[in-house]
Amino acid sequence: MSDAAGAIDGPADPVAAPSMATGVTRGDSPAWQGPTYYGRPALKEAPFNTWVVGGYVFLAGLAGSSAILAAIADAARPDEAEATVRRGRYLSLLAPTIGAGLLIYDLHTPQRFYNMFRVAKRTSPMSIGTWILSTFSVFAGLTAGLQFLADRVPRWRWTRGAARATSIPAAVSGAGMSTYTAALLAATSTPLWAAAPAALAARFGAASISSGAAALSLSEPAGPTRDALQKVAAAAMGCECLVGAVQSRAYRRTGVDEALQGGWGVVEKLGGTGLGVVVPLGLHFLSRQSDDSGHLTRLASVAALIGSLLLRVSFMQAGNVSARRPEISFRFAQPDNLPRSRAARRRTVRGQR
Amino acid sequence: MDMHPRALENTNSEFSHVIANESELTAGVLIEPGRSYGFFTDTTVCIGCKACEVACKEWNNLPADNIGLTGESYDNTGALSANTWRHVAFVEKKSGCGGSSVRSPEELPFQSGWLMLSDVCKHCQNAPCLEACPTGSLFKTEFDTVVVQQDICNGCGYCVPACPFGVIDVSLLDGKAHKCTLCYDRLKGGLEPACAKSCPTDSIQFGELSDLHARAHERVAQLHEQGVASAYLYGAPGGPGATGDIGHLNAFFLLTDRPETYNLPAAPTRPANRVMPALLTGLAAVAGLALTAFAAFDRRT
Amino acid sequence: MDGVVTIVQESRFQLTDDNGVSHLFVLGHDSFAEPDQLTPLQRRQERVTVHFSEGRNIIGFIAHSIEAAQ
Repeated sequence: MSDAAGAIDGPADPVAAPSMATGVTRGDSPAWQGPTYYGRPALKEAPFNTWVVGGYVFLAGLAGSSAILAAIADAARPDEAEATVRRGRYLSLLAPTIGAGLLIYDLHTPQRFYNMFRVAKRTSPMSIGTWILSTFSVFAGLTAGLQFLADRVPRWRWTRGAARATSIPAAVSGAGMSTYTAALLAATSTPLWAAAPAALAARFGAASISSGAAALSLSEPAGPTRDALQKVAAAAMGCECLVGAVQSRAYRRTGVDEALQGGWGVVEKLGGTGLGVVVPLGLHFLSRQSDDSGHLTRLASVAALIGSLLLRVSFMQAGNVSARRPEISFRFAQPDNLPRSRAARRRTVRGQR
Repeated sequence: MDMHPRALENTNSEFSHVIANESELTAGVLIEPGRSYGFFTDTTVCIGCKACEVACKEWNNLPADNIGLTGESYDNTGALSANTWRHVAFVEKKSGCGGSSVRSPEELPFQSGWLMLSDVCKHCQNAPCLEACPTGSLFKTEFDTVVVQQDICNGCGYCVPACPFGVIDVSLLDGKAHKCTLCYDRLKGGLEPACAKSCPTDSIQFGELSDLHARAHERVAQLHEQGVASAYLYGAPGGPGATGDIGHLNAFFLLTDRPETYNLPAAPTRPANRVMPALLTGLAAVAGLALTAFAAFDRRT
Repeated sequence: MDGVVTIVQESRFQLTDDNGVSHLFVLGHDSFAEPDQLTPLQRRQERVTVHFSEGRNIIGFIAHSIEAAQ
């Protein structure tokens, strides 16, 4: 088990797989072929309730992206898109309220939730996320509150400018909200989550933007604003497709794609990619061909939202499958999957390998 | 083994007090804050008696869990959990080391048809559980071990998937995360950890890390000389188990088979190195889409 | 159950009842007692009453509340 790049000392020859008591060997899969310990998991699954945390990730992306899109609409077309901006600012309250509630509910000792604020650790996306959520809650809350005042008391003109000012930090932290949850999943040892961290983050980010655009265009009457939102949604979905392909390649290369071949993999394909990307894009196309009164586009938005939620939940469940199965986790934790050091990369370039 | 001179001062069978710096007598090491302590587990001398499991449960007052028989050789404990901090693994091999059968008339350097390993928290140098903990509950003690502060942990469970060895777990009974503390309270009192003290063959050796590494390398060389070519260290700096920026494992092992046979990963990685790539790529993707949105909304286009 | 707290480790404690039989308890997550409050009880060797329920798949009980015995 010696490696040219960095002498990893191990048994001189791989010892013949003991056939008694161990050896859950899978004949035809790319996963780990060698011995396992009675087929027992080598890792522990995350103790989160996948629907609760998946629901939070979905709401965080939705709220964060709504804040971003509302700020952009306000900057580009402040008068035409006033209703959209208002809706976006109120939608962004979903994360600080329901989202935070879901998170606290999922703690195993919820009465100590405030301990999350004891530290700010840059190695822990959960710590980073706590602070992103707090920052977002403050600014999204302020923006929504100022919007409320602006609507109720029109003669206080300062509220509009103030809301625009607070919507900028809300949008910036909203960008964090849309994507930090992927870093949360990637910074673990669960094989499926850890196999392609950058691709996962891009996928979740794109899914968040698409869900934000879908939610905003849901109650938007036909017009240039709705067209703009649909263009954004289409761009986000296209991005999702591309990144999804990159992800699949990475998962095949690292040997974790087995986890996506079970039931949850089907949900991820049909729900996450199907409902989230293919169906909405198809419906958009159809609605352009026919003279649509808006039913098709609304259907597309609903499909995109459901697909976005199913993407998160199915991915988390499939991750737990990859942690629970030693064939997958051992295949992932092999020297060929180690991040290559710069020295090793240079040596490959110079052709010394 | 030479007797420590102070042992002569403590020869009664019953004690009314704790012997000061008892670890000097039992483990040959003085426990001082500021040094690195850990375990060297030599699986070639483990007899599978499970005294370590019992001592750990007794000292830490842990309830028995995983009740029932598993049918997996003599391993009825199964795995480490929130209430099991020492777990002895048993693997029965048809052929002994060097490929010869267990029933061969030739005397082998050690009983090798049966692999036995006492698994424990590895107390990694760059512990992923510690880096993942959002409350700061997990910390590095003055003895270079990793401990969960029970009065801070809120059971978020993020440390659980972070551990590349599947050690730490959240207890559903009390809602907090638990794992081996390397007997932090015993160390503070000058006593060596319960498992190391109870091990009858000194398979589990407690000591200062540099000392343990020296001893371990000597033992590997000795085994190689005796013909056990498959003996190696798991968790020593630069070796399997200490890959991917984890540094080294304070609790390291001498194994004679692939790590996977003992339910250990061959090349674990440090999850914290994935945080920045993920965050930056995600933000870049969102920024790119935001620019697209601005272009879509812009009245001038 | 009434008895005296004899061993305390983190949030787990051993209660020796009036018959001299020792039982293991884990502080439940819904109990408002904190682990720090157990050590003084053990030091003072106070008689306490523990309200508990059985645990699943463990040899031990889950303590819900501890009060000074009457």
